[in-house]
Amino acid sequence: MIQYIVRRLLVAIPMLLGAMSIVFFAMRVLPSDPCVAMMGGDATAAALADCSKNLGLDRPLAAQYVNYLWRSVRFDFGTSFRQGYPVGEYIARMFPHTFVLVMASAVVAALVGIPIGIISALKRRNPLIDYPLRIFALLGLSMPVFWLGILLLIVFSLRFDLFPLIGGGDLEGVISMIRSGEMFSYPRDFLKAVGDVLYHLTLPALALGFTLAATVSRLSRSAMLEVVSQDYIRTARAKGNIERIVIYKHALRNMMVPLLTIVGVFIAIALTGTVLTETVFTRPGLGKMLVDAIGARDYPLAQGAVTVFTMIIIVVNLVVDMLYAVVDPRITYR
Amino acid sequence: MAIVRRAETVDLPIPARDEVRGRLGPQLRRWLPILIGALLAAAMIVMAAAAPLLAPMSPSAQFSNAVLKGPGAVEGHWLGTDEFGRDILSRIIWGARVSLEVGLASVMIAFTIGVPLGILAGFRGGRTETAIMRGADMLMAFPTLLLALIIVTALGGSLVNEILAIGIALLPNFVRLARSLSLTIRENDYIMAARAIGAGQLRLMARHVFPNALYALIVVATLYIATAIRTEASLSFLGLGVPPPTPTWGNILSDGRQYIKCCPWITTFSGLAIMLAVLAFNIVGDALRDLLDPRMRGD
Repeated sequence: MIQYIVRRLLVAIPMLLGAMSIVFFAMRVLPSDPCVAMMGGDATAAALADCSKNLGLDRPLAAQYVNYLWRSVRFDFGTSFRQGYPVGEYIARMFPHTFVLVMASAVVAALVGIPIGIISALKRRNPLIDYPLRIFALLGLSMPVFWLGILLLIVFSLRFDLFPLIGGGDLEGVISMIRSGEMFSYPRDFLKAVGDVLYHLTLPALALGFTLAATVSRLSRSAMLEVVSQDYIRTARAKGNIERIVIYKHALRNMMVPLLTIVGVFIAIALTGTVLTETVFTRPGLGKMLVDAIGARDYPLAQGAVTVFTMIIIVVNLVVDMLYAVVDPRITYR
Repeated sequence: MAIVRRAETVDLPIPARDEVRGRLGPQLRRWLPILIGALLAAAMIVMAAAAPLLAPMSPSAQFSNAVLKGPGAVEGHWLGTDEFGRDILSRIIWGARVSLEVGLASVMIAFTIGVPLGILAGFRGGRTETAIMRGADMLMAFPTLLLALIIVTALGGSLVNEILAIGIALLPNFVRLARSLSLTIRENDYIMAARAIGAGQLRLMARHVFPNALYALIVVATLYIATAIRTEASLSFLGLGVPPPTPTWGNILSDGRQYIKCCPWITTFSGLAIMLAVLAFNIVGDALRDLLDPRMRGD
């Protein structure tokens, strides 16, 4: 087991390195010069050279590359060209927003997707149930999250004025209240702040969660189909158990193992989804930060965001792989 | 006695009408989704190909008397107009071109590069396989949209670059699938037979492995056309796609975002077009997979 973990970690390192190299070189062949982008076309040659020097862009590409790798390993992504403060700090500030969005939409996706997948697997011979559910899954897979987001905004924010149009609420405030222990001394203020965050979170989480629910429902459907065809389910039935017990006690628990496989895929899709969701809802977060950084040609910020995205995905997949052994003792690693 | 009688009634032959329905039902259930999906996809292809004939007006023509008018508010503008007084219906019809071009061309790129690499990896094994698969894994670390976003940022937004970016982003999926298919296929007796009569490696891969993998690859390619269309729309929406004034569904939607308060039709119709196009290829791909792989159907 430990040997497996070490080997799996060793495989992850070149993968991360490769992914980071792709990011670095892609960002370096960008057509427009960041100094020109920042200072405008009228800037003098001297001013541009000065800017280039300040940003370290005058150094050889190889030196910039090694420097980037070495600093990334220490989570030091340099200083944002535009904002002028450390990228790491910026990322740390944006991360919680993206984190709560991913988590909230995961909850929505699981609450909607898993039951739908199970029902459509168990009732697959009843077209009146199976068909609408499969259509729902297809619609969810095909609906772009940014369009669903806009439709939700049109209906719930503009027409009924139930939810805000932009922003992410005072998440920093909530976090600092948790850290300082103020949440216990001022519970009312704390709950109010949490409520505000949830108020801002509802529509984005629904939009992203619904599109993800489709993927979850399909995977739970096939996981359930796989499980109900197993011998132990036949045994459970043969023992004379009623169908409900067979499903709840025997099938559901075993379904969770194949379902775990999708956590890695899920996080990857959800993180990509945040890029679009945060843009539509004008919510702070890593995804919106990435889009803004690309628009402003802010290399370090964009590189930092993509590196963090990639790291999260690789690490989540690693953890999921290891969790299998814990959840399913039949799996052994060599 | 009563038990026997009940058993007899159960064993009675099913009435003829139900028998007919029973035979037609599964057939209909199998083919109806393909038909709906294929019709939607065909509609999109016709729309893209015949845009100059179908569009009621030019997609860039500006009508100063019809700025931000709702569907049907001004004669001739069935789906309304945008902030420059351009006809939304015409822009959506022309927008089908970019979506379809990117959708088909990027999948073709991923297919023509990815499939040979995957077959080679699966068939040859050893170092060739390790090298190809590590490269694919590295690209796989990025979700499709993120990778396409990085590449298109690096190359700049244009039709060709967008096709390249999405093609490269989809590439590892084809490499992986082709490899796993060729791993299975190479164990077949007919491969051994072909080898015995002196077929070379290239011939084995091109004439025996590839044709046998083709069905599964086509199914997956159809599903990835849907992914490519959605990715294109996402890139356009983020302002990284084909630059204006060329209409794309993503940039119509993105431009319409500023006007959702007064004029929700701009975003509603362009988004609907994206969804229907993606849905069409998803339905066709799904139905094809069900037809070819009965295990996935679950009955």
